[in-house]
Amino acid sequence: MATRSTSESTLARLLPGDIDAEQALVHGGLVVSIFLMGLPLLLALIMSTQNTTEVYQITNVGIGSQGLSNYETVLGEYNFGQYMINSVVMSVIIVVGKVTLSLFAALALVYYRFPYERAVFMFILLTLLLPVPVRIVPLFDLMARLGWGNTLMAITGPYIASATAVFLFRQHFMSIPASLVENAHLDGVGPLKFLWEVLIPMSRGMIAGVSVITFIYAWNQYLWPLIIMSDQSKQVVQVGLRFLQAASQSGLTRWGIIMAGAVIALLPPLAVLIVMHRPLLKTLAIQQK
Amino acid sequence: MPEFTKPYESRWQAFLLLLPTFAVLIAFLYYPGVETFRLSLQQTILLGTRKTFVGLENYATLATSSAYHWSFAISVAFAAVVVVGTLVASLFVAYLLFQVDVGSSTYLIAAIWPYALPTAVAASVLLFLLHPSLGIITYVLESLTGTSLDWFTNGPQAFAIVAVVAIWKQLGYNIIFMVASLNNIPETLTESAKLDGVGHLKMLYRVYVPLMSPTLVFLVVMNTIYAFFQTFPLVDLMTSGGPNEATNLLIFKLYRDAFEFSNLGLASAESVVLFAIVAILMYVQLRLSESYTTYA
Repeated sequence: MATRSTSESTLARLLPGDIDAEQALVHGGLVVSIFLMGLPLLLALIMSTQNTTEVYQITNVGIGSQGLSNYETVLGEYNFGQYMINSVVMSVIIVVGKVTLSLFAALALVYYRFPYERAVFMFILLTLLLPVPVRIVPLFDLMARLGWGNTLMAITGPYIASATAVFLFRQHFMSIPASLVENAHLDGVGPLKFLWEVLIPMSRGMIAGVSVITFIYAWNQYLWPLIIMSDQSKQVVQVGLRFLQAASQSGLTRWGIIMAGAVIALLPPLAVLIVMHRPLLKTLAIQQK
Repeated sequence: MPEFTKPYESRWQAFLLLLPTFAVLIAFLYYPGVETFRLSLQQTILLGTRKTFVGLENYATLATSSAYHWSFAISVAFAAVVVVGTLVASLFVAYLLFQVDVGSSTYLIAAIWPYALPTAVAASVLLFLLHPSLGIITYVLESLTGTSLDWFTNGPQAFAIVAVVAIWKQLGYNIIFMVASLNNIPETLTESAKLDGVGHLKMLYRVYVPLMSPTLVFLVVMNTIYAFFQTFPLVDLMTSGGPNEATNLLIFKLYRDAFEFSNLGLASAESVVLFAIVAILMYVQLRLSESYTTYA
């Protein structure tokens, strides 16, 4: 569709005096909506360069005198360097753990014959009914009893198995041609070798997509780390933004510092989205079914 | 199910492959999930050191608590505003993305990025930009409209501001699904409608929206779950439930009852109510998507 309409509009441009007023409106509408959606970020970027005096001059929306030094302050003095490392470690463990566990589970569901297959799959899917707030008090209790408070296990363990990831890999495996699978088995390939040499190479896009979804989701965690990590130095960057609210200097809130912190906390998932938008979009299209 | 005969027979291998997923789901999802029900029938006293069975008393407390009724009512209203606001704004942008002739992939990324926006970042940024006395957006809005924005003390304004931030963050997710859905509509349909001289707005409501309805139902369900479950950072960072309880959503009240007031039995009963909400929503989604499949 894209190519057809492109050639059509090229044609339209070649015809003298025939300006496509409708397309001009569409472009205008898009530019305005995208500008409005991005405006808060743009302003946050600008304000992140201002010192407190400049911030308190409300109509001052120019680049401030601080340059990048607010970023240095927030990373060092306000511990955001540590929080960022904590968030990266947490998110990477969740991504790798979830992808690995879900690939194993999908391999069993699609390529193994065993009793109560349907029930097993339903058992996994039904966990969609149990988001964290539904089980938050007993989960907190459990972590206390395990002695997992303030550990990486507490903020990664509950997230490394998932109905969504198993569902997506299962859908994908089922779409792989039967002939390929039969050939592999005739050659006497064991299940793990089959997973490693056949399934994973054929699922690269899906694995990338699930990884992006999981990374963005993990990075966004706030409520659970807030509750379970009482040791500030082990906290994730989203909760770090909560600590930052107390940032003040001679009674004035240091909003420039807070904006710098917000920008830093946004960068990793935003970069991942921009670089990996293709597999992400493909994977989400399957998720709806 | 796949058409081929399954190549592997070993039951214990299948068991081993499923074991890690099952272990995590049972330990961290099912077990605490079931425990929530049990705890909701208990009362904890002396800072959680003693528990006594109280039957349905916690539910009775919720049923008669005007604070809980209020929190429930504003959560429903909040979800309604967020769902409608997100759908309308996203549909507008998605329709433009569908119509545009050149640059559509660049526009697409520029429009879906809020999918990657952490809720706490959205809250921090707009807390400042919409700050009653310091915010530049507040300043512009006040000079344009001649009204004064005072949402640190004005409840309805605070409710509206938190809803706007919630909508902003959710636009990317909705636009992704809407654009995919629009691109699936057969082009012949668009062309024949154009030949009949049907206007844009009419096309959108008469032709596209009905064809997108499975996606729209899915998004209504996902946005509702989002509004109930994932808006905690907004309330926590922007309003702390105030002013005058105006933004004390169920999720925030649950957090406070459990972790500030250590009322674990009552908080568990609140969790059970949230479970009922998510169960109903998932059921609706399942039934409706089934009926669409049958219809198609």
